[in-house]
Amino acid sequence: MLKLGDFRAIFLVFGLAGVLLFASPSFGLFLHLPQGEKFSELWLLGPEHMAKNYPYNVTAHADYFVYLGVGNHMGSPMYYGVYLKFRNQLEPLPNDTAGAPSPLVPLYEYHAFVEDGKSWEVPLTFSFSNVSYGMNQSLVGSLSINSVAFNVNKGTSWDDENRGYFYELFVELWIYGVESDAFQFHDRFVGIRLNVTGNV
Amino acid sequence: MKYSHENIVKVSFLLLLVLLVFTSSVGSAFCTATSDEASLKLSEAESALRRAFVAVLDAERAGADVSGLMLELNLAGGNLTWAQNAYRSEDFSGVAGAADQCSSLADKIVSGTSLLKGSALAEAQDSEWRMLAFSGIGGLAFALVLFLVWVMFRRSYSRKLLGSKPEVGSDA
Repeated sequence: MLKLGDFRAIFLVFGLAGVLLFASPSFGLFLHLPQGEKFSELWLLGPEHMAKNYPYNVTAHADYFVYLGVGNHMGSPMYYGVYLKFRNQLEPLPNDTAGAPSPLVPLYEYHAFVEDGKSWEVPLTFSFSNVSYGMNQSLVGSLSINSVAFNVNKGTSWDDENRGYFYELFVELWIYGVESDAFQFHDRFVGIRLNVTGNV
Repeated sequence: MKYSHENIVKVSFLLLLVLLVFTSSVGSAFCTATSDEASLKLSEAESALRRAFVAVLDAERAGADVSGLMLELNLAGGNLTWAQNAYRSEDFSGVAGAADQCSSLADKIVSGTSLLKGSALAEAQDSEWRMLAFSGIGGLAFALVLFLVWVMFRRSYSRKLLGSKPEVGSDA
């Protein structure tokens, strides 16, 4: 048979557990548990809303279509700057290791506000015009993004290995810092390689 | 006074030249003014949108549901997107209008957040008090009831112990 001292211990344990149970809703006011990893997503999807059939061989005066999206897992609402840039094979992409953006001037930009755990997505159309070829060189005069025409005047040489005149349309993700009151590169970028050719 | 044909041609040419210079300078000044005005409106809209976002973030941190405000921010952001991209493509017509629309939407969002933040803060404070009261009173009541049960249990245990007859073992 259990002794009185044993029963006292059982009552004490039971009492302590009960008091903790009642106090547990208030723990959240004083204890701040660590959150999961904070990150943002950036994606480009093809015309079927899947990661395939991206525009590749493109010609002047034809419209091409992709989806551009951002996902927020930063733990609070975020203000994103999404910058579209266009480069030839010699111009630099963002530097992954240094976390530095491409020095190219953005052609087009979006202002996106995304709640935590949610995403933002828009259709993106583009087309080329004033494209000329000669002496193993191609020159893109104008690039229209969502029907807004930009003078790019960018040239590239014939790539013998991959057989094409290659350019890249890429997107950088920037984030607005409340403390700094400025946009900072968020070390995310994605792009599509385009062979601007007249022979499709 | 006689006007020769040659003089008339000269004067006409001079007038035409003056008119051309005047038109081009006015046109250029007008374009510069349009571009400057658009640039000014754009930076105003950018600042207004940032202020609106900070206000929404504050409201969210105070516990307000900001889903509706985020939609409005995206509407204002859409106007700024349009205005900035038009400006970049050197199509200044409509830039100032779209930037103004962004600014006024942003200002509306800021005024909406103060009300939302106030009610969220009050609600959060109420909820904190309710939680603290539940924890304090609930925990205390539980401890008290358990203590009473313990006292009763101890009494009955002692009574049971005292009332029991000692058993005598026999080696017989």
